[in-house]
Amino acid sequence: MGNTWVALKGMLEYIGLEVVVPPPITKETLFLGVQHAPEFACLPLKINIGNLIEAKKLGADVFIMAGGTGPCRFGLYAQLEKEILEDLGYHYDSLIIEPPDTGYWQFLKQVKKIVGKASWWRVFQGIRFGYQKALAVDKLEKLVEEIRPRETVKGTADKIFQNALQIIDRAQNFGELEESYILSSEKLRHIPQDERKKVLKIGLVGEIYTLLEPFASADIEKKLGYLGAEVRRSLYLSEWVNEHLFLKAKGPSIRDFARPFLNHFVGGHGQETIGAGVAFANAGFDGIVQVAPLTCMPEIVAHNIFPEVSRDCGIPVLNIYVDEQTGEAGINTRLEAFIELLEARRKPDGKVVSKPDAVQGVAQDVASPIPREAAQKAANKEGPDTLTM
Amino acid sequence: MSLKVGLPRALFYHTYYPLWQAFYAALGVETVVSPETNKGILNKGIKCVVDETCLPVKVFFGHVAELCEAGADYLFVPRLVSVEKKAYICPKFMGLPDMLKASRIQQPPLIAPVINFVKVTPLQKILDECAAPFTRNRVKINRAWQKAWQEQKQHEENLRKITPHHDLTILLLGHDYNVYDRYINMDLIKKLQQLGCQVMTAAHIAREERDRQIEKFPRSVFWTYGRNLIGAAYHFMEQPGLKGVIILSSFGCGIDSFIDNFIIRRLTEQKIPHLNVVLDEHTGEGGLNTRLEAFVDIIRWRRDYHQGYVSPHGQYLGSAERNA
Repeated sequence: MGNTWVALKGMLEYIGLEVVVPPPITKETLFLGVQHAPEFACLPLKINIGNLIEAKKLGADVFIMAGGTGPCRFGLYAQLEKEILEDLGYHYDSLIIEPPDTGYWQFLKQVKKIVGKASWWRVFQGIRFGYQKALAVDKLEKLVEEIRPRETVKGTADKIFQNALQIIDRAQNFGELEESYILSSEKLRHIPQDERKKVLKIGLVGEIYTLLEPFASADIEKKLGYLGAEVRRSLYLSEWVNEHLFLKAKGPSIRDFARPFLNHFVGGHGQETIGAGVAFANAGFDGIVQVAPLTCMPEIVAHNIFPEVSRDCGIPVLNIYVDEQTGEAGINTRLEAFIELLEARRKPDGKVVSKPDAVQGVAQDVASPIPREAAQKAANKEGPDTLTM
Repeated sequence: MSLKVGLPRALFYHTYYPLWQAFYAALGVETVVSPETNKGILNKGIKCVVDETCLPVKVFFGHVAELCEAGADYLFVPRLVSVEKKAYICPKFMGLPDMLKASRIQQPPLIAPVINFVKVTPLQKILDECAAPFTRNRVKINRAWQKAWQEQKQHEENLRKITPHHDLTILLLGHDYNVYDRYINMDLIKKLQQLGCQVMTAAHIAREERDRQIEKFPRSVFWTYGRNLIGAAYHFMEQPGLKGVIILSSFGCGIDSFIDNFIIRRLTEQKIPHLNVVLDEHTGEGGLNTRLEAFVDIIRWRRDYHQGYVSPHGQYLGSAERNA
């Protein structure tokens, strides 16, 4: 899942386990997964199965998987994966970690099962080390997100970032990690940039896997960056870990922003998606892009509610679903059109859409930024036929 | 003029209509139920929500739109998070009132109590909320609830009655709102009966039996419908006689994508013939008829002619020697 492997590998190796990192996700991985996963399952499951098959070929024999108690499908991933792999003749021992929300004791017991002989102190340090790595990666990534639209030579920041990942991965202790982080961030800061360029700010929200794994989302984050937008995600690994594993949330939770649009937890990251959308709008972002795997239940709820958020907060929203149909051109076109629309909105004359014909395709996805009353009046007049999508 | 509460004939209405209707009847409140699903309702629903939404939710929105036109004073749209401990319904049910508010349907005030038995919500609070617009008299509310609960229990028991049958039993596994909505499943039950089958559904199996059977599943299933279906499938596997299973799900159903896979895997192990029917907005009946007939024929042939080469689940059973 994106760069998560750096942190996880760091943690497990620190504890003293041998780790097989599955090869980066490619079309081949997805193909393997799609072949064996149920048709309507969500994309992360399909990729996961592909990963596990590839890792098996590299000699892995235990997979560690988070569990869950619903209502998102993720809670049953491990079980389904195990059964599918068993049918294919790949035998895995699976260790399913139930989230600590359901009881710390259970959680500790499972952790002990995984780590075997390592002492608790070692485990604790390992977790801390993994977390530090995640933190370092996330900080660098945020820097990259800022630099991407401004750099003079496109792609420099990404190259340095890839290199930084390698260095951070190689770091064996806290000192080395600190050093590699400082080195990489210095390198990033020295990239020549056009400081005066006015860039758009876009909030990327949605389902965690598609947010963190660039392959799953057809690299939307990078694409937006190169199109001249500074992207901020609603989720970063270290923040997620902080909130869910260490159970400490600082300040108001992102979910609180979801009221009054979505007043109840809907599983997965549905409420966070809406909440982050509102928070981004309040922070003066220019637009929101929602990414989710096709048939993702919580995100569909969020998608249904976004038009209202868009009307109330006056922020355009683009919804993108990803699945195994990986045609990139379609996504590129939609992103470009979205960016153009946002730029048009920012023009000083205040006219939101100058040529309605030119942006019609986008206007369908993007709820209109007209104030709510006006939109509703228009809706009443024209009847439900004018609904988006 | 007395106030009218609108009950959309969709989703959980199919499971709990005796309860809801009896409750409001006992309170002396008039209820309006939308007509059975038809093409118009479905089309209205499709226009109200995004494409990715599943068919039952689209149908639900169609019913709501229909009711709003019919002029209900209140709409009963409970936020059904969970109806039993340790099991949710579906994320979409949890967000239903919010999705409704975000839609462009002009709607009367909603009665949307949060029903969540994973966390213990006091029943009294739910009932008060359901009755709030009409009465605050707790005695009256509780009496209405008692009556409604009896009614619901009676209804569930009636469903469970099954006349022992001769020929072929088909277990129809699906969510209640797909199984009992005769429009979206194209009257599947009647079609099967006309083919001379006895139809069983998950509702025929008592809650206790289901909970006993679900123990066989290695992990806890946290969806009520998932529990119903897996429990029913396990129960059915133990039954004697000629049988087949039809799995009815809606296109893009997140829960079924997993549950069906678990069930199919187990049915395949037991060599029980099964057919997976996926419903969506398309309404061509011909394809479904052909598939049902073929399915029933194959099960009967396997019995009557001992045709061992008819596969129950797509496995190749041909003679290896003949091809050699």
